[in-house]
Amino acid sequence: MLHMTHIRARTSGLRRTPARAVARLGELFDGYLEPTRPHADAYDEMFEEDSSVRSAYRTLYESIAPSRVADLTARAEALDRAFVDQGITFSLSGQERPFPLDLIPRVLTASEWSKLERGIVQRVRALEMFLADIYGDAQIVRDGVLPRRLITSCEHFHREAALINPPNGVRIHVAGVDLVRDEVGTFRVLEDNLRCPSGVSYVMENRRTMARVFPDLFARHRVRSVGDYAVHLLRALRNAAAPNAADPNVVVLTPGVANSAYFEHSLLARQMGVELVEGRDLFCRDNLVYLRTTEGERQVDVIYRRIDDDFLDPVHFRPDSVLGVAGLLNAARAGNVVIANAVGNGLADDKLVYTYMPEIVQYYLGEKPLLPNVDTFRCWLPEECAHVLDHLDELVVKPVEGSGGYGIVFGPQASVRELNGLRRTIKANPRGWIAQPVVQLSTVPTKVGDRLAPRHVDLRPFAVNDGNSIFVLPGGLTRVALPEGSLVVNSSQGGGSKDTWVLAPRSSTVDRELAEPGLKMAAVESPAAEQGPELTTSQQQQQQQQQSGKGA
Amino acid sequence: MSWRVRIVHTTGYRYELPVTQSYNEARMTPRADRRQNVVVSRVETTPATRAYRYTDYWGTEVTSFDLHAPHVELKVVASSVVETGAEEEPVRTASWTDLRADALLDRYTEFLDWTGYVPRDRELAAVARGLKRGLGPADAVLAASNWVHEQLTYQSGTTGVHSSATDAWQAREGVCQDFAHVTLVLLRAMGIPARYVSGYLHTKPNGAIRETVRGESHAWIEAWTGGWWGYDPTNGIPVGPRHIWVAHGRDYADVAPLKGIYSGGASSALDVTVEVTRLA
Repeated sequence: MLHMTHIRARTSGLRRTPARAVARLGELFDGYLEPTRPHADAYDEMFEEDSSVRSAYRTLYESIAPSRVADLTARAEALDRAFVDQGITFSLSGQERPFPLDLIPRVLTASEWSKLERGIVQRVRALEMFLADIYGDAQIVRDGVLPRRLITSCEHFHREAALINPPNGVRIHVAGVDLVRDEVGTFRVLEDNLRCPSGVSYVMENRRTMARVFPDLFARHRVRSVGDYAVHLLRALRNAAAPNAADPNVVVLTPGVANSAYFEHSLLARQMGVELVEGRDLFCRDNLVYLRTTEGERQVDVIYRRIDDDFLDPVHFRPDSVLGVAGLLNAARAGNVVIANAVGNGLADDKLVYTYMPEIVQYYLGEKPLLPNVDTFRCWLPEECAHVLDHLDELVVKPVEGSGGYGIVFGPQASVRELNGLRRTIKANPRGWIAQPVVQLSTVPTKVGDRLAPRHVDLRPFAVNDGNSIFVLPGGLTRVALPEGSLVVNSSQGGGSKDTWVLAPRSSTVDRELAEPGLKMAAVESPAAEQGPELTTSQQQQQQQQQSGKGA
Repeated sequence: MSWRVRIVHTTGYRYELPVTQSYNEARMTPRADRRQNVVVSRVETTPATRAYRYTDYWGTEVTSFDLHAPHVELKVVASSVVETGAEEEPVRTASWTDLRADALLDRYTEFLDWTGYVPRDRELAAVARGLKRGLGPADAVLAASNWVHEQLTYQSGTTGVHSSATDAWQAREGVCQDFAHVTLVLLRAMGIPARYVSGYLHTKPNGAIRETVRGESHAWIEAWTGGWWGYDPTNGIPVGPRHIWVAHGRDYADVAPLKGIYSGGASSALDVTVEVTRLA
């Protein structure tokens, strides 16, 4: 399941003036701009403050607004049916349900997107240089731009990855940059995901299904295509191979069917036309990696791995891991295989490192960041920590590592007891925590019951670096908080998603999503089986280590 | 006065059942620096295999190798000829104030932080406060090392490869690894950047030329007090021509001489032998 970022509604604060002519919006939007709604402070992506429709949504609004409630219900049923028919369900508390895709797409104009795209490309470029530097000479530290202890205290700074140079220099083959839109509509980066960002399969599946259920809407919009993601990914992976691999053998390495993202792993492997493998299918010999096949061993050049660093290679990381491949890291060090994404990228996902992005972008590119961060207090700086401790009840406090909303505390909603506990936790480990003001995330109309209501959303675009250029898949995954005024939301807690439309500029010739009636997809297995991983293996891995000291 | 010495370090494992897959890393190659010159060095294994060499984060030369033919014993032999340096003098250029400067704290953060083997210890911190009183940083290093030398009894078998400084301190005994770790706790508690050094020791202070002695796989410490310099708390002596250094890091975990994983049954370590011959 997807990890959803926190999405929160502030229940107090300034109210905007009541929107006029609410009734004009049509029956589906009944009560949408009700001034007492808990989302009133947020930036609504469809409606301006004066309740006129923003340009991005004009055509969509014109298509939907006249509809009756019955039409909406019928479309919703068709949408659910489409997913069930294709076998795409989502497991919630052990129950298979249709995948939670909302009817109403989220729409971004060409100019909004081009700004985002440039910002994301800039960010990935800077992060590539940053990772190359840190795992090399660490010039940015020597120059005193970043403190060394910022790096060395990071849990995902892997010294084992030092001095490993990927053949084409790329470490971030795929990036997922989580964005939110603040009260005035400015996109801000919430976190970077440079390890194994997941969710792109939902982007593709959402689009296929929407195109099936709403061919009329696609006919009236110039929506940029997302169908060629796998083409870009495969190109990036092939480009990453060592130059003397003439026809590089690429594989997708999955932890197995029990993993919540297995569906995505298998989808990407199938779309790229490459093998989907588990750790036990691979082995290393003399720093070369081989795949066991029915026709014997076949050398592997590039591994698109969806396994965390800690489990990747028991020689260097967790010795008890049976998901990975012993010897993999040194094979990569020798230049005989490329691990994508690179080992050690988690350093840049650290939320304390994130707060230094303006310095990082400036240092490597000599530019200002095009996409701002969310304002963040760093508990490891004493002054900022004091501020956080004094204002705990107003802030969102987050652990610096980990994703998916894990460990996040919402000050305004926490009890005094919880806040006291949090205060002790922060004091004991200030490096481990950051705090942010509550951000009012933007809202988009979302089907709730038989009406459309504003619900908070975020956005995870996906960027692919093939070494020559950085491609950003138009749109990305929009995640939506379904419960009104909800806190941490992820799809396992009733969150949903939206198809994200990037409109093509009028003059452009970019690939456009056509609502072809013939769009079909292969039946696929349901993603996560509720069974434990099959880890029975005769292999017993033991750590051998011995005493050095028999000293004099 | 410097020595030229030959070191032959033999180690390995014996397995109950034949092992068919084994991945290992040896950190057994002496390093060259200003005080030590490596004339020749190699790492060989039985069964023979193709080795891959690389330099790790700490600057240590690593020999990595994997085995795929069934074997019940793995023997690793590292041999080298090294010219060692003269006895190291304490560096006395830094004051306590210098050591508290933020730039310095940041530069040597990894050698000031606590680790699994070198954890924060209340009791040892109190000892450290007492030892440094009235002394400059370099003399505090000597005081801490000599204190550990006096307090701990050299005894193998009580502590193991996974024992921390706290374990050794509570037992009041240990091997050179433990002496080094306890000293590092004291030095880092004093705010002196300090690191773990692995290497070898020629056991005879006045070793005769051409005489092969049973040497030791050894460990000592280095401290930064305006410059790095070494001291041997196990023996309570300065690091000198008898010390051959291989690697340094935050603690033992960064420099373990041989580690790896294999598939198969139980294993036992082969006897480690270190033969050291003074050549000149």
